[in-house]
Amino acid sequence: MKIIRYLGESVLRRFTVLSSVWEILLSSFLNLIFRFHRGRKATLRVLLKQIYFTGFEAIPIVSWIAIVLGLIIVTQSLSILPRFGGEGLIGEIFVWVVIREVGPVFASVIVIARSGTAIASELGSMKISKEITSLEVMGIDPIHYLITPRVIGTGISVLLLTFYFEAVSILGGYLLAGFGKNISFSVYTQSILEAMGFLEIGVSLLKSLLFGLIIGAVCSYHGLMAEKSITQIPQQTTKAVIGSLRLVFVMDAVITFVFFM
Amino acid sequence: MAQFVEIKELTSYSEDGRAVFENAGLILKGGERVLITAPVASGKSLLLKLLSGIEKPEKGQVLIFGEDTSAIDNEALNRLRSRLGFVFQDNVLISNLKVLENIALPLLYHSNMPYDEVMERALELLDKTGFRGDPWVQPGSLALYSKKEVAVARAMALEPDIIVCESLCEGLTEAEKGQISDLLIKYQENSNRLLVFTAVNDADAGLLRPDRVIRIEGNRFLE
Repeated sequence: MKIIRYLGESVLRRFTVLSSVWEILLSSFLNLIFRFHRGRKATLRVLLKQIYFTGFEAIPIVSWIAIVLGLIIVTQSLSILPRFGGEGLIGEIFVWVVIREVGPVFASVIVIARSGTAIASELGSMKISKEITSLEVMGIDPIHYLITPRVIGTGISVLLLTFYFEAVSILGGYLLAGFGKNISFSVYTQSILEAMGFLEIGVSLLKSLLFGLIIGAVCSYHGLMAEKSITQIPQQTTKAVIGSLRLVFVMDAVITFVFFM
Repeated sequence: MAQFVEIKELTSYSEDGRAVFENAGLILKGGERVLITAPVASGKSLLLKLLSGIEKPEKGQVLIFGEDTSAIDNEALNRLRSRLGFVFQDNVLISNLKVLENIALPLLYHSNMPYDEVMERALELLDKTGFRGDPWVQPGSLALYSKKEVAVARAMALEPDIIVCESLCEGLTEAEKGQISDLLIKYQENSNRLLVFTAVNDADAGLLRPDRVIRIEGNRFLE
């Protein structure tokens, strides 16, 4: 009986979190569409800061991981494919692995680690120090001024970082394929471009945008959940990371299933 | 003089369920300078929350410029709030914004002024307070009085008709108290603006020079 109650409570808690995250996403869209003009000069600055921090400042770490991943995929492919005379499949493997799956997921994981934690802890700290109340008192809607730019900014950043990640990992793969195995750049890129269709690009775009929005909304939600004590900030930050990872992977599985099954 | 604040038959409870106001009434008019005193945890903070619409009364009405804060939607409430300026005891400046950006924020959000003009206006307001620090640092490292100067400049940014100051003189030296209260009195004097101070007692009444002193006692406002 206790187990059933525990499970019931756990499901209910998850459902509550999900509905709140959905509410944040919906409010962000409504704010973007219907209230964009309101306080535009102030909110636009928050949006640009978010894109700068989440997108631009993540470029070095994204570059490193993308290059190394490209090298790993080409190394593994070239260690197996020649046994079956399938060197030509390298492009398809790259598209299957990087464009369809790893690009959006890795970009999201990097953003969760860098910016998701920052969003949750910053908002948590603002909530506890009553800065959010102070904004309300000034007639500034915190969802409009603080949350919407963070959600939209994270969505845009993950989208841009995913494409950057994919392009750099393709180049990273060429470092080995070209210089190590004497495969020409045109053959290498031709093989990748042939394997890449609109569906792959579209799904990669959809995934990255959705993941980014989810990260922004989940991390904002957990940040705002910090109530009274400063010790709640690390707790909520951890929950934000776990919650974002869980939702990103579930959404990844759902989208992959829908489009590629 | 027009009634700016009207509290009617107010009943409101603290977070722990204790009655703070019971059937309380208060009228504050434009052009007045009012000091509201109450011991610690006797309703000063709750009154601020009620005036800003953050807290809704259990019973009764809080009318600001004739609008019931419980009956209007969020958009209207935010418009109403932009006509009020608050200076909190803890100042509550936005920690991730620079000093100047803190003052500019209400202007950037509520007005259509170009960015350069907003920043000029923010600098002008900061100068008026006598702030001597760097306006391009985040406020976390500032001394208490400097934070108070920034908070007062921010509260005056939209030239509100009502300014409410929570325990303004708390923790300040006599000279600082005099400077900051002079600035606020200068803003309000000879105008139709309402200036409300809250404090635990009337020890600083000489500096704040109120027209009325109101006590919160027995869950009511007494004059």
